[in-house]
Amino acid sequence: MTKVNPDFIKKVTTSEEFNATACINCGVCTAVCPMDVELLPRKLFRYALLGLEDKVLENTNVIYQCLLCKMCEENCTADVHIAENVRFLRSYISKEVFKL
Amino acid sequence: MSERRIGVYICYCGGNISDFVEVEKVRDAIENEEGVKVAKTTMFACSDAAQQEMINDIHEHKLDGLVVASCSPTLHTFTFRGVAERAGLNPYQYVQVNVREQVSWAHTDLKEQATEKAIYMVKAGIAKVRLTQPLKKTRIDTVPRTLVIGAGISGLRAAIAHSDLGISAFVIEKSDRIGGWVSEFGKMYPHNRLGSDLITELSEEIKKRENIHIYTEAEILTKSGSVGDFDVKIKVKNEEISLNVGSIIVATGFVSYQPSEGEYAYGADGVLTLPDFKELIDNSKGEIIYQGKPVKNVTYIYCVGSRDSSGEKGHAYCSRYCCNAAIHASLVANDISSELNQFHIYRDIRTYGKYELLYREALQNGAIFIKFDEASPPRVEKSNGRFNVQVKDVLTFGEEIEIESDLVVLVTAMEPRENKAMNDVLKLPVSLDGFFKEIHPKLRPVETVIDGVLIAGTSQAPRNSAESVAMSLAATSKSASLLMKGYVELEPLIAMVNEDTCVWCGKCSEACPYSAIEKISSGEKEIAAINTAQCKGCGCCVPVCPENALAIKGYTDEQIRAMIDAMEVLL
Repeated sequence: MTKVNPDFIKKVTTSEEFNATACINCGVCTAVCPMDVELLPRKLFRYALLGLEDKVLENTNVIYQCLLCKMCEENCTADVHIAENVRFLRSYISKEVFKL
Repeated sequence: MSERRIGVYICYCGGNISDFVEVEKVRDAIENEEGVKVAKTTMFACSDAAQQEMINDIHEHKLDGLVVASCSPTLHTFTFRGVAERAGLNPYQYVQVNVREQVSWAHTDLKEQATEKAIYMVKAGIAKVRLTQPLKKTRIDTVPRTLVIGAGISGLRAAIAHSDLGISAFVIEKSDRIGGWVSEFGKMYPHNRLGSDLITELSEEIKKRENIHIYTEAEILTKSGSVGDFDVKIKVKNEEISLNVGSIIVATGFVSYQPSEGEYAYGADGVLTLPDFKELIDNSKGEIIYQGKPVKNVTYIYCVGSRDSSGEKGHAYCSRYCCNAAIHASLVANDISSELNQFHIYRDIRTYGKYELLYREALQNGAIFIKFDEASPPRVEKSNGRFNVQVKDVLTFGEEIEIESDLVVLVTAMEPRENKAMNDVLKLPVSLDGFFKEIHPKLRPVETVIDGVLIAGTSQAPRNSAESVAMSLAATSKSASLLMKGYVELEPLIAMVNEDTCVWCGKCSEACPYSAIEKISSGEKEIAAINTAQCKGCGCCVPVCPENALAIKGYTDEQIRAMIDAMEVLL
């Protein structure tokens, strides 16, 4: 059981950069990813949207594995800025976890 | 020998019939049947040229019976009745034989037998026509007044629409005030206007009109008469009033589903139904306070009482209004306090049509939508004055998450309102889910099997107020089309009583679903009498009569026997 953190949701959903609310969970991003990442992009964004901060942080490695090649973004049917969203999560982790 | 002069027309239907039935052979087989004066085949019996030919034949040969062997009577009964009428022949001396749906289309692999079957069916048709009598439609003069039951938004709107058309409206309302549910609502979707304002506007409009009469604390006691001319007795407070109206509009609305104690922790302070939550936010300014405490997190649980017939109280149907209403309520709540965190736990979001924009807006405002599977519904637990709502999120493939909430809003179903006393009077059929039934959702919406009694709004099915009003206006136009013509004509194919053999045992009256049979005195004895305006010709009374004193016009025992005999020749 993971607790929802409303403050995390606020940070994510009110940011200009993060736009995953448009995600329709179709799975194209996962299908075209050349890195065969352990965590599906759509699932990662869902964690972020639901405010499951612990789940997001658990997957820090995956978030940094991404090549930001934008293959997913090019093919996204809902115009989600996937690469930008990953950068947003990286910047969040850098600040909040690594205190950079 | 029969003295009848019958014309028989057998249709090719451009191949639909003639590809499998030898139409010419059918004609040859029946042309010498007793009474047949004209026997012809035609490429399309329904074409203008063929219709004109029939009319000419009827005049030339002085025909007094017409048989068309073509398609289903559903399609063309009225076409050929029209032919008969235009030729001066009584339309009820016409019989249609269905040699397309029942023969050629049904026996495409058995041509010979199909032809044989067509022959005996046409012979049966001729046998039936030989025994037809000219019948006249019953004509009833209509009264330009309507009775509206229920003074909610649907009923009030219907009353004003009738008044616009010059038809007086009597509105009766069970409670002590008008406006129903809508009068209690604050901001409503999609226009954000206050429900109470809408009702005030309607009630101001009603005050300006002399031909609308509103009775509160009123109910219907009895109804007699029939379409276009009902006599109705109503009770208003302690007074009885008699009204004479041409139509009745039933707009009795819905009740809101009441969750069971403990259903999603219902009963605990802080677990509210959607109407209760609406009331809370309609009275909130600046921030939302519940029982002295500011509200920070609100969790909505959708489909409570809807789309689940497993329990005792659940309903199989979707209540239709609730996705839109709950999302709109969350937008209103967000306007009051944008600090609010709102979680929508849903099975499917059904913000159909333009209401999709509400859903988009809620997403943009940061509302979180969590889909649950029907098999594992969310759980609500109370802890430290707040609620932990636990749910398995389908979109993360079953991640179990927990939301701390100050308020849990149960998005509750619309239920049919029980109107036993009223329906003992009106006898409207009720569908399996408890709402009143219309005859056909596309071909005859708002109409019931009781002619002149129409249904509108949520008495028929769950719907929002905009849809309810649209339906009440549809019922109004149906009502006005009955009443403004000044008269209605009813089918004469109804029951008749043989006064010599009837001994009034009452069995027919018990069997009649339309209350169309009553006892009258005839000379020294009592017999059954048919209310010609109420009888639908369903035939329920015929087989229960121990004296065989009842028959349906156009379908007498004599006719049916003659049809069977005509077929036995071949069998």
